[in-house]
Amino acid sequence: MLLDEVRALWAARGLVWVLAKREISARHAGSVAGAVWAYLPPLLTVAAYYLVFDVVFAMRLGEQAPVRSVGAYLIVGSLPWMAFCDSISRATNSLIDAGSLLQKNPLPPALFPARTVVASAVIFGPLIALMTLAYAPMHRFSPALVALLPLALLQVVLCWLLGYLLAVCAAALRDVTAIVGFVLSVGIYLSPVLFPASMFPAAWAWVLWLNPMAPLVGGYQSVVLSGQWPQWSTWIVTLAWITLTALLLDKVVKRSQEQLVDWL
Amino acid sequence: MSELAESDGETSAVLRLDGVGKEYRLYDSPRDRLSALITGHSKHRSHWALRDVGLELHRGQCMGVVGDNGAGKSSLLKLIAGTLQPTTGRLTRHGRVTAILELGAGFHPDFSGRQNLYFGGSLIGISHEEMTKLERDILDFSELGDAIDRPVKTYSSGMTVRLAFALVTAVEPDLLIIDEALAVGDQNFQKKCVQRIDAFRRNGCTILFCSHSLYHVRHLCNVALWLDGGRVKALGDTESVLSSYEVHVRSQDTSSPPEQVIAVEQEGNTLEVPAGKLPAARAPVTAKLVCVEVANLGEGTPRLLESTDLVVTVKAQLGTGEQPNFIIMLEQSRGVGITSIATHAEGIAPHHLGDGVWQTTLTFPELPLHSGDYVVSAYLLDAHGLVVYEEWMRCVEFKLVAPSLTPGIVRLPHRWS
Repeated sequence: MLLDEVRALWAARGLVWVLAKREISARHAGSVAGAVWAYLPPLLTVAAYYLVFDVVFAMRLGEQAPVRSVGAYLIVGSLPWMAFCDSISRATNSLIDAGSLLQKNPLPPALFPARTVVASAVIFGPLIALMTLAYAPMHRFSPALVALLPLALLQVVLCWLLGYLLAVCAAALRDVTAIVGFVLSVGIYLSPVLFPASMFPAAWAWVLWLNPMAPLVGGYQSVVLSGQWPQWSTWIVTLAWITLTALLLDKVVKRSQEQLVDWL
Repeated sequence: MSELAESDGETSAVLRLDGVGKEYRLYDSPRDRLSALITGHSKHRSHWALRDVGLELHRGQCMGVVGDNGAGKSSLLKLIAGTLQPTTGRLTRHGRVTAILELGAGFHPDFSGRQNLYFGGSLIGISHEEMTKLERDILDFSELGDAIDRPVKTYSSGMTVRLAFALVTAVEPDLLIIDEALAVGDQNFQKKCVQRIDAFRRNGCTILFCSHSLYHVRHLCNVALWLDGGRVKALGDTESVLSSYEVHVRSQDTSSPPEQVIAVEQEGNTLEVPAGKLPAARAPVTAKLVCVEVANLGEGTPRLLESTDLVVTVKAQLGTGEQPNFIIMLEQSRGVGITSIATHAEGIAPHHLGDGVWQTTLTFPELPLHSGDYVVSAYLLDAHGLVVYEEWMRCVEFKLVAPSLTPGIVRLPHRWS
């Protein structure tokens, strides 16, 4: 069932790209700066972190952290996290937003969460690449940087599966959108974005397992900041999350497929 | 797909439905919907919009779908268009399917007509390269001119619909689904739409056509389907299906109160036009009925016909210089239709009085009707009898007194032996 969805998505891959481009330009249609607005908010956040923590206060992290400067640590963790939040929150709404299109055109619903995830990737991908260029000289472009590609790929797959799952739930019950927004704003505390995982008290370390992005954020940090390959647990936990989400999505798609369009 | 169709020759079905049913699950609250999604146990009431529909359409066939509101027509069209999934049964389609359901629904108001054209094209499977080739034709057909580069939010509703129609019909489909879409734009554009659809039909495109206009169904379709309560009530050649459907419609009409009638003063004759059916303000009106007259009407309400012949004269004004056609329909005032006569069906050309005014007179000699109140309606059509420019429904009412000892409606020609 889920395989059919993936096949339909692959068959319409050209359309995903068209839809994603349009989504980005539609968000800021009519404004003078246009798509530049999509890149500005994360850029400004990053700039603020740098100025406040590295330039003005010059704060330093403890021994176990992958890097000593707080600003660099925050930036490398928060960009992938912002990408995750952006794609999940938009994907949750994607089916509801596409209601009129889906009612008029025979299109696979899987397209719409995919387009928001691709649109987010188009916005945050270049930013993450820039961030890598900025910090990679610290470890002289370690070969571990290659691991960024599978990390990003896994993040895209995870976002699509989770976003699609939440989008179907949101189609059934609109409140899901608000709940997702709340969970995402709290989720940053269940991740190593603000504090290194090593600073979590041993009794509380397990909460990191509740956040599917936690291992990926850890992976980005070790690759970009210290040039080390991600730990095995990064891959295993991420793949476990992907498998779990895929199984749930498969069930939900089976149960909703025939009625989904009526709910929008 | 085209190879498949060729190998099977003319016998292959473009569309085939076997026992197709569509169930809508009604949940008491969205919470029940979510719990059904999570647990798989659903508390819902079922509404079957369609049940056990089976049909087959071949290349070049044109099927009209008729039925009351809520009979499942839209659900059927959406299933065939692929936007809904059937709950039961099998549905197979071959080749390119184009649906004219709601025109212009996917346009983004902030983007220009051209941007929307490319985006809308990608939604219906026209790639960017194909669109660059088709663009010229679409622009010509939609008559948008320079407006194509303005945002769609500045368009009139007619312009949006013109662009949308030109887009969806840019590529000739194998199966065309039309839902009440013929009433788009102005008269001139309507005519182009009907001509394009007619050209598709002559090229062998299969058409599925859902309309309340029985005239168009009769004229365009060779098969008709009557849906009633989600089931197939009748399926077969157009005339037999439509005639039984009309009997059904009329039996419903008599139970509902007669339409409110308002009077319009025109050329000294009082024309009675039903409220809400005044000639629609579709600008620019280049073709319109000027008057419908019944000769020899006396006093009273309704006025008494004072001759044995019924003579109806209709006049129309056309800006384009084309020759129009007329249909004159005679009905019982409260009851059944008696006859309708069309100029194009009988090869009659109306007289041109000059200045684009056309006139024709229809005489029923020795009107063979029993006493009663009767009403005349008139339709103005284009040169091919395809596009209805204007209809004056029930515009002249008259009373007939004809001594007869036996009950009935009409004195048919007869012979005793």
